[in-house]
Amino acid sequence: MSQGIVQVENLNLAYKGLRAVQNVSFQIKSGEILAIIGQNGSGKTSTVECIEGLRKPDSGLVQVFGKDPWLHRSEIYKEMGIQLQEVEYPSKIRVEEQCRLFASFYERPADWDLLLTQLGLDKKRKQPIHKLSGGEKQRLSILLSLMGRPKLLVLDELTTGLDPEVRQNMWISFENIRKNGVAIIMVSHYLDEVEALADKILYLEKGKQQFFGTQQGFREYVKSLIPQNEWKDNYSLEKLYLMIAPKTTGLTMEGIL
Amino acid sequence: MKRFIIICTMELKLFTREFFGFFFALVFPVLMLVLFGSIYGNTPIYPGADAKVMDVSVPAYSVMVIGVTGLMSLPLTLSNCKEKKIYKRFDATPVGKKNIISAQIFVNFLMTLVGICILIAAGKILYHIQIKGTFLSICICLLLSTAAMFSLGFLLTAIGRDLKSTNLLCYLFYFIMLFLSGATMPDMLFPDTIKKISNLLPMTHAVDLMQGAFAGESLTLHKMELLILGALTVICAAVGATLYSKKDWT
Repeated sequence: MSQGIVQVENLNLAYKGLRAVQNVSFQIKSGEILAIIGQNGSGKTSTVECIEGLRKPDSGLVQVFGKDPWLHRSEIYKEMGIQLQEVEYPSKIRVEEQCRLFASFYERPADWDLLLTQLGLDKKRKQPIHKLSGGEKQRLSILLSLMGRPKLLVLDELTTGLDPEVRQNMWISFENIRKNGVAIIMVSHYLDEVEALADKILYLEKGKQQFFGTQQGFREYVKSLIPQNEWKDNYSLEKLYLMIAPKTTGLTMEGIL
Repeated sequence: MKRFIIICTMELKLFTREFFGFFFALVFPVLMLVLFGSIYGNTPIYPGADAKVMDVSVPAYSVMVIGVTGLMSLPLTLSNCKEKKIYKRFDATPVGKKNIISAQIFVNFLMTLVGICILIAAGKILYHIQIKGTFLSICICLLLSTAAMFSLGFLLTAIGRDLKSTNLLCYLFYFIMLFLSGATMPDMLFPDTIKKISNLLPMTHAVDLMQGAFAGESLTLHKMELLILGALTVICAAVGATLYSKKDWT
């Protein structure tokens, strides 16, 4: 039987005068992949930071492995791997040194030597991190999130900066990880990625939860919002999302010429 | 403990890879000693004086080492790690940022000791300096001076909004104190106005205290310096911690 890993009920968070997250509720079980989608500033990162115990919610219930992450952060991190959206490492540290350092944080660290090879970083192990490309830094970030052999992975913008081939390989990797019972929460702007991986979708808009459920449920949700003559069964998730997402104005040549 | 040693080893490597900290804490003071030693030799500080130029220069340059680690290396490391969200990443592991910050403080303290030991060794070998103070009294003065400078550096990182402004504050405090405290040149050479300014600087009191301890003077003669540095440590740490508690680490 699947075990509940994360439970969030009526989560509220405000900072800098902004209600970043309003009454968000969802849950995820082991072996499930949840994708959190929405525009920039919709509250995706704030939501995952509450799950990670990095932000204290104003109200609501957040439980990870049955514990409050804000109060039991270091305990929870023994079983939770995290990839943050924006992060840097000490610039002069070398790739293998960073891996060794992170490995020392866990009682039973992953075989990072093997992971370096699998992620195509084996030739970069002596390289200082500041000399890595954006994609290589991203792969290192993913490696470090796996260091503690986690049961829950929280990945904020998993494949940003990766080339298409590496992205596809990454999808296969995370599919395999999920098959081993690891629950994954991913924040993503790539809807093809969400379509390929996610069992469940949480859609946020201006901090408010618009939808939580399965991919099929999301299709039904979009169908209910748009005129029936605009609907096609074979629409991609990205197309569906664009049909309901708030419209933004594009760049015009008037401002340039 | 094993984990803390691994973190410290890593921080030690990073310290040695940063040119500024490494050069100014471990190399520059010895260069200064050799430069001024080659000019003045280890002659009495004034005709008939018991103390010699190099005997008082070594404790003064020791404070220069403390200034480099306390007012430059440590605060800029803290500020850099905070701004680049390096601490946030460590906070998302079972270890947390407190262990990393503790290791950074420890390594900077360790390098302060190494820098001072190199300086003393160079003074002993090249100029046969005399250290009349007891090991205990020198240790007390060294610890208090280090605590005061580290605490002041910590406060500067708490005041600075970002790395750039912290950089500016640290450079300003470090260089003003370096040249006006007697850490690089004897304060007896200063005109009266500069002397008055010099007396307001914490580093001046650290220099006086260290010189007194090396010369074997009783610590009771340096109650004022001990009090000022002690108070500075407590006040800067408390105000810095209060300011940090209001900062957003995410």
